[in-house]
Amino acid sequence: MSDQGVTMPRAVLSGLRRHEWLGLAAVLVLGIVAMAATQPAFLSTYNIYIMLTAFSLSVLIALSQMVILAIGQLNLSVGGLGGLAAVIFAGAMDVLGLPVPLAILAGLAVGLLGGLINGIVTWRTGLNAFIVTLATLSIFKGVNIGLTEAQPFYGIAEPVKWFGNARLGALPALLLVSGPVVILTGVILARTMFGRHLLAVGGNQQAAALSGVGVGRIIVLAHVASGGLAAMAGMLAVARLQLGQPTIGDDWLIVSFAAPVIGGAVLAGGHVSVIGTCLGVAIITLINNALVLLRVDPFAVQLLLGFLILFAVGLGRVRSGR
Amino acid sequence: MTRTDQPAATGADRERKRGGAGMAAGPKPGRAALGWLASNEAGLLMITLLFVLLFSQLTAGFTSLFNLYALTRVLAIDAVIGFSMMVVLVTGGLNLAAGAIGVCGAMAAGWFMQALGLPVWLALPLALCVGALLGALNGALTVWMDVHSFVVTLATMSIFFGTMILLTEARAFSDLPPGYVALAKTRYGFWSGLLVVTAIVGVLLWLLFHRTTLGRQILIAGANPRAAAMSGVPAGLTVIVCHALSGGLAALAGLMLTSRNGAALPSMAGQLGMDWLLPAFLAPILGGTLLTGGTVSVAGTFLGAALVTVLTNGLLQLQVGEFWIQAFLGAILLIAVALDRLRAVWIERRRVR
Repeated sequence: MSDQGVTMPRAVLSGLRRHEWLGLAAVLVLGIVAMAATQPAFLSTYNIYIMLTAFSLSVLIALSQMVILAIGQLNLSVGGLGGLAAVIFAGAMDVLGLPVPLAILAGLAVGLLGGLINGIVTWRTGLNAFIVTLATLSIFKGVNIGLTEAQPFYGIAEPVKWFGNARLGALPALLLVSGPVVILTGVILARTMFGRHLLAVGGNQQAAALSGVGVGRIIVLAHVASGGLAAMAGMLAVARLQLGQPTIGDDWLIVSFAAPVIGGAVLAGGHVSVIGTCLGVAIITLINNALVLLRVDPFAVQLLLGFLILFAVGLGRVRSGR
Repeated sequence: MTRTDQPAATGADRERKRGGAGMAAGPKPGRAALGWLASNEAGLLMITLLFVLLFSQLTAGFTSLFNLYALTRVLAIDAVIGFSMMVVLVTGGLNLAAGAIGVCGAMAAGWFMQALGLPVWLALPLALCVGALLGALNGALTVWMDVHSFVVTLATMSIFFGTMILLTEARAFSDLPPGYVALAKTRYGFWSGLLVVTAIVGVLLWLLFHRTTLGRQILIAGANPRAAAMSGVPAGLTVIVCHALSGGLAALAGLMLTSRNGAALPSMAGQLGMDWLLPAFLAPILGGTLLTGGTVSVAGTFLGAALVTVLTNGLLQLQVGEFWIQAFLGAILLIAVALDRLRAVWIERRRVR
């Protein structure tokens, strides 16, 4: 696959460099056309609804990782934190009997607090975020399992259950959460001072600090945002599953990296793309759906995602090379 | 031996005059050869013994012969998992795919023995080769793509595990030769026989890093790849060798675990083999192997694994509840890396002076 990237004609390459997401969009359209032509079930309203539901959830997971990639770090605890927020959200309704808005606040607070811990520890100690978030991943997951004793919370409030299943034709209600969040993230990154500082810190921390950017504040805020996004993803997962599964978040890691990296995020930091990440999530969702419709083993998805990450990174090297 | 790094030579000499502290106090190039670090292993040993004493007083079951036997059996395997990560940390990289490779090695061994009917003496080395080959692939991709091994091993973790599940159809190999399964049941008093394997591996690794040219090249390339390349060290090759070694050790841990379980299970390291990550990082980091590369402590990694095993076992005996253990271990890792950071800063300051 990567050989193809190396021998790609120069004109295509320069086009890719200017509008890196155009290539992704082409891949996506091609995939959709191929599926629509061969699988009649693909364009059914219900199948589109299924795909959009998966997209709504995955895109939040991907954005949660993306804001950390933007500052040139990694966050292994996205799944751990999302899962903890999910069981706190479910437990607040089931065990404590809190009303839905309060439960949402509790879940969100867990996410923001967890992100705050990640950010402060990373910043104050200067440690590699990888190892910090590996440790906090175990802590979040451990607290999750300790609280739930690996049993799900079933007593989810009816409005939440309704929201998780509600749809207008092919449009899931979950899009009402992820749609605005995606747009907001895009606007913040592209149009606000915070967004530009975020990318400046990722691009060159020292230069950013010298030009007056509060590096510590930016790093901590990025982790807080990541935690908040992970918590939202966790709570949407509860709404969709109709129960507070302790295993929510266990399989988020690969997706969270794959989508932004496919979307052109540079792992060294300083360069991320919300449109690219969305297209990355869309491509992953399409692959997932295609493999289900074609009755391929679900583990083939993991396999393909691995190859996609390698391919995207290889392509990124080619793109930045000459 | 220490000619490669002049300031370190005095440190190593000082260390030797003090009498050192076990295996890792031997001469080695780079930052590790400073006096204070020598006491790291001694400190770990004392903390571990302290906890052994504490748990033996607090609980009735901790010092029972069977519990100690079970404990040393877990320790033998976890130490090898720690070694597997240690040899890549030396290069300044890491291996997220360690668990996935471990399961692949174990499943390969199961397939060789059960489906192909190969004898144990042939199947086990072949399985180790499978692990080493997968590791070498990680190393080659890391060097060739010139990206951090994090992203390479993240991708290959998914690829290796996915391929293994597709090939085995997620089925276990449970009809293994009795001679192989009996290996994990050997015991000397309360010592598990598996510790013999771990000890041999540990000595070989120590010899590699402290007595061979290749080992020294690995350490130098890990500390400063550019300087190493300029002085003629094949930095890329050392990365591939370390990843291959890591894969082989992961497969070995998988084989030991398979022998203990009596079956090769696709689920033995959790989803994508990620259950191994925590023990894999805990042991070397507690043991004083720096994340930035260029240092190694074989004895430290073993003692790190010992501390984690004793803590886990003791907390279980104290009825803390196994559900909370993971949170405890995560907190320990966080404290360990914070100390690791302090030590790195301290060494850096010593070097500047």
